[in-house]
Amino acid sequence: MQPEFYADGPAVLIERQERTLVIADPHFGVEADLHRHGLHFQSATDARMSRLLTIIEQSDPDYLIVLGDLKHMIPYVTYQERIEMPEILRKIRKETNFRLAPGNHDTGLEHYLGKDELLPMNGALIDGTGYFHGHTIPAQELMGHLILCGHHHPVVNIYDDVGCSLRGTPGYLLAEIDPSAWGPVPANPTRILFVPAFYELAGGMDVRLIPGNNISPVANAIQNETAEVFLKDGTYVAPFTELRPDPMERT
Amino acid sequence: MTSAIDDLKDSLHPKLREVLEKRGFDEFSEIQMRAVPTLITGINAILIAPTGTGKTESALLPVFHQMLTKPCQNGFTALYITPLRSLNRDMMSRLEWWGAELGLRISVRHGDTTQNDRRKQATNPPDLLITTPESLQAMFMGKVLRKHLAGVRYVIVDEIHELAGGKRGTQLTVALERIAELAGEFQRIGISATVGNPELIGKFLCGKRPCTIVQVPVAKTLDLSVKFAGESFHGQTKLIEKCIDSHASTLVFTNTRSVAEAIGHALLPRGDTDVHHGSLSREVRVDAEDNFRAGKTRAMICTSSMELGIDIGQIDHVIQFNSPREVARLMQRTGRAGHQIHATSKGMILATGFDDILESMVIVNKAMANQPENTRPHMNAADVIANQIAALAVERGQIAIKKIEEIFSRSYCFHDAGPLIREVIAEMERHYLIRTEDDMVITKNRARKYLSLNLSMIADEKKSIIFDVVARKPVGTLDESFVISWISSGAVFVARGQVWRVLDIDEDRIMVEPAKNAKGELPSWEGEQIPVPFSVAMEVGRLRRLQNFEEYRADEKSVIFAEKILSDMKKNRSITATDQLIVLEDADEGVVINLCGGHKVNETIGRVLSILLSARYGTSVGIETNAYRILLRLPKFLRAPDVEEVLLSLEPEHIEGILTLALKKTALYKWKLVQIAKKFGAIDADADYEKISMNRLLELFDKTVIEREAFRELFFSSMDVEGAREVVTLLKTRRMGTKTSRLSIIGAEGLFTGRDIVVPPGEDQAIIESVKHRIDDQDVILACMHCKNWKSRTKVGRVPDQPQCPVCGARLVAVLKPYEEQAFTALKKKKLSTEEKEAETRMMRNANMVLSSGKKAIIALAGRGVGPESAARILNTFATGDNFYREILKAERNFVQTHRFWG
Repeated sequence: MQPEFYADGPAVLIERQERTLVIADPHFGVEADLHRHGLHFQSATDARMSRLLTIIEQSDPDYLIVLGDLKHMIPYVTYQERIEMPEILRKIRKETNFRLAPGNHDTGLEHYLGKDELLPMNGALIDGTGYFHGHTIPAQELMGHLILCGHHHPVVNIYDDVGCSLRGTPGYLLAEIDPSAWGPVPANPTRILFVPAFYELAGGMDVRLIPGNNISPVANAIQNETAEVFLKDGTYVAPFTELRPDPMERT
Repeated sequence: MTSAIDDLKDSLHPKLREVLEKRGFDEFSEIQMRAVPTLITGINAILIAPTGTGKTESALLPVFHQMLTKPCQNGFTALYITPLRSLNRDMMSRLEWWGAELGLRISVRHGDTTQNDRRKQATNPPDLLITTPESLQAMFMGKVLRKHLAGVRYVIVDEIHELAGGKRGTQLTVALERIAELAGEFQRIGISATVGNPELIGKFLCGKRPCTIVQVPVAKTLDLSVKFAGESFHGQTKLIEKCIDSHASTLVFTNTRSVAEAIGHALLPRGDTDVHHGSLSREVRVDAEDNFRAGKTRAMICTSSMELGIDIGQIDHVIQFNSPREVARLMQRTGRAGHQIHATSKGMILATGFDDILESMVIVNKAMANQPENTRPHMNAADVIANQIAALAVERGQIAIKKIEEIFSRSYCFHDAGPLIREVIAEMERHYLIRTEDDMVITKNRARKYLSLNLSMIADEKKSIIFDVVARKPVGTLDESFVISWISSGAVFVARGQVWRVLDIDEDRIMVEPAKNAKGELPSWEGEQIPVPFSVAMEVGRLRRLQNFEEYRADEKSVIFAEKILSDMKKNRSITATDQLIVLEDADEGVVINLCGGHKVNETIGRVLSILLSARYGTSVGIETNAYRILLRLPKFLRAPDVEEVLLSLEPEHIEGILTLALKKTALYKWKLVQIAKKFGAIDADADYEKISMNRLLELFDKTVIEREAFRELFFSSMDVEGAREVVTLLKTRRMGTKTSRLSIIGAEGLFTGRDIVVPPGEDQAIIESVKHRIDDQDVILACMHCKNWKSRTKVGRVPDQPQCPVCGARLVAVLKPYEEQAFTALKKKKLSTEEKEAETRMMRNANMVLSSGKKAIIALAGRGVGPESAARILNTFATGDNFYREILKAERNFVQTHRFWG
């Protein structure tokens, strides 16, 4: 299996028996929260949706899986979300089957989703690949498989001789996790692909800071030696341990 | 003369005449003689004359006369607007007497005015109100005060040249039109320092209404010269002392606060000098002014804080330390000397280096020839339009767009705004600040709060504290807009003359450590430098070429020093850049472009070159500029000829487009964009940007009127596209040439001694030393983990290599942080909770580590946030000496960067 990367999402397509398009953290309805924080902008839901629909059209998937944080506001559903969410779901369902691996922002979304559409909190194994949001310990059945997760909003900084030549571009981190971290050791290694946020205003976390970070159990269980970094279009940057360090960092 | 004075007196209201008699006013200055008869007729005018020649009275006597002749009891009759609160206070104390004598009520209203006084002004309006542009804005918000504003018949704007160049002034021109909406037409009087284009100041004040200029030139009374003050600071202060001793009262102007402090400190033992600058508290400044006025001190070391006309009595002599950079600035500063009538103003520039001497010579000549720079007002500033539309909407609840257009069209700064106004309205509507219906603008709930937070066009922002985690103390503060546009973990910036690296950002603190190798574009946040204009820098280039020093007013030492540098250049086979030659030099750090273009032109060309080089060679390019050179930090494989080739390939008409691209990624642009977005109501003054990517958010402004305004302002204030075009055209037509060479002494001047570039001192060693010192000094608790009966508080530096318990003799001693003391005491209980057991395990590990590694473990464990786990990691590296401390720093840094996720 070779994942197919869609830089304009960012989104990734996993193809085994079926074609599964995956995005993470679109945070639809974020503008209502921005308002409360003193940033007054019009809803970008339409722009975000048209980006998504274009990729669905290009990739022609059997499923769209959203790795959590489909909506933004915690712990309730805002007026903006109440108005926009049915329309978002209607447009997606018209094009393909929809699944949501619920994230910490998805409180109150159950009413809008079909029974099959909402995956369990700790993730589900679909067509040989695990999917979950990333803020919890993944379910046992996902162990020993490739797991895709969101939640971390990974970004990559690239440095050259003179300074930082690329700052905060969305990227992927692929890493094996400590096999003994949770439950029995599986036959195959468990690998996690940290998917960058679809939400374009996401601040993002430098991939250098994810392994060992207490932001989530999986980040904490990463084994650095096997970790690798990709850009949003799938460009292989480097093994994690060979990432060119920040030049300001003392050696 | 006597009869002229009598005629003048006779023309005044009898009561005013009486008061003049009483005051012993028997002589008038030239400006008063000319201004009073003009203004008494009620016409609009700009008054220009040197400071201290009674400009204020020349504006106020005719206004008082009219107020007495045609009394009027409705609200404020006259407004006196100054740019500064300190000027307001000064003016109030000067006018109090007049008011009492003439029976006119005079009062001040600005940010410091008490609620009580404000209430009094509302219930019982004074005849003359002294205020600032911002307080005027606030007055429009209140119903009662608006009614009082409807009584206005005379408006005097003091120091109008200071306001005319900025957006504060632009906003004021609209405010004047808003007064006219309430009160009808009124007499407008502007008081200005010398500028190159007084007619424009007139238009600025009056729009299309007629306006007379009454001008007494400063230049004819100026006596200026340049003196070389040597290169040692000691020698320089000695020379300043000599000058102070030879005059009764002296003002010493410096360009920066830190230099003023340094000189003030050196002169402190004399006991007859004071320092005066904007960072000092109001009390300290007022004391300094009072001491000087009373003759208790004979010299005051000051910055631009003293430029405006605060009355400090007699000044015999003005010293300008280092080049004043602008002609108008020198004229204004030295114009303060020798005040009274008919006297000349004596002033001297003390220059300290090659650039400084030549620049001072040029500026002195231009001042003597009465060639100050032109004042340039902002035309069609979109954020001011947005701000004033919101103000009008709040004032009236709703207002027709046609009316808005009409009000703006009366202000000179917006007379041709055209469709821009509707564009601004549409953008404001997109950010929910106002709404429109049937060609009306209607206020929204948010608009009032917006307005109260955005009365001023000065960026008034939250400050974040910069906290040095190595020395564990605050370094200074940063403006919020700078923080959001530039500061992220890992970012490097300059503050307090040092380079810092950001570790983490708290709610209102930025955790930093001194950075060792600073590369790339370094934003500096120390007061914006005064730019040297293109015309001055080019004449410096001409002086380098012709070496006609005899035509300038400098002492022999200055000329000898300048000639020595130029002959050394020749000896070294270096080439000197002039107004007809650009010299590109290879330095270790990159390429130095010697170009006598002034700050803004060099900034423009530097940025254009850097983006072209970066695109062509795929590398990032660092850039530093001053008035005479541009340093491009480049990878080793790029040399002067490569840069020369790009420079020669420039086309004048492409400059603006390339510059737009180049600026878009800079911190400066983002900062401006945020400021302007705030004025459009898109971003609240107290917005919270956490958790979002500011960069991406700012992309939402692409192609909007907000973005256009950001570029307009940058091109207008920070860049000089026209000057840069001229340089490129000169190159194209071969009236200016280029040469490449090795680094020369002139080229290196900016690099190693430069006035604008901060050279980081030996950082690494300094950091290690400071960590050693800090840890040695840190309090620790020695605690016996064997008997648990002994603990003792001490400092790391005093702990022996193998501490031993004096009670039981065991060597199992843990070295704890002071906050762990309680947890240790708790261990003596029989039954321990889970938490307490964990603490015990941790302390036991700690004690074992001290037992096996001795002092090294003690030091490591004393690091901030370093527990037994990270201490073990540090010890396992087997690092020794400085490297050992580096490991501790790393662990501390790690702690700083991750601790927020622990909770």
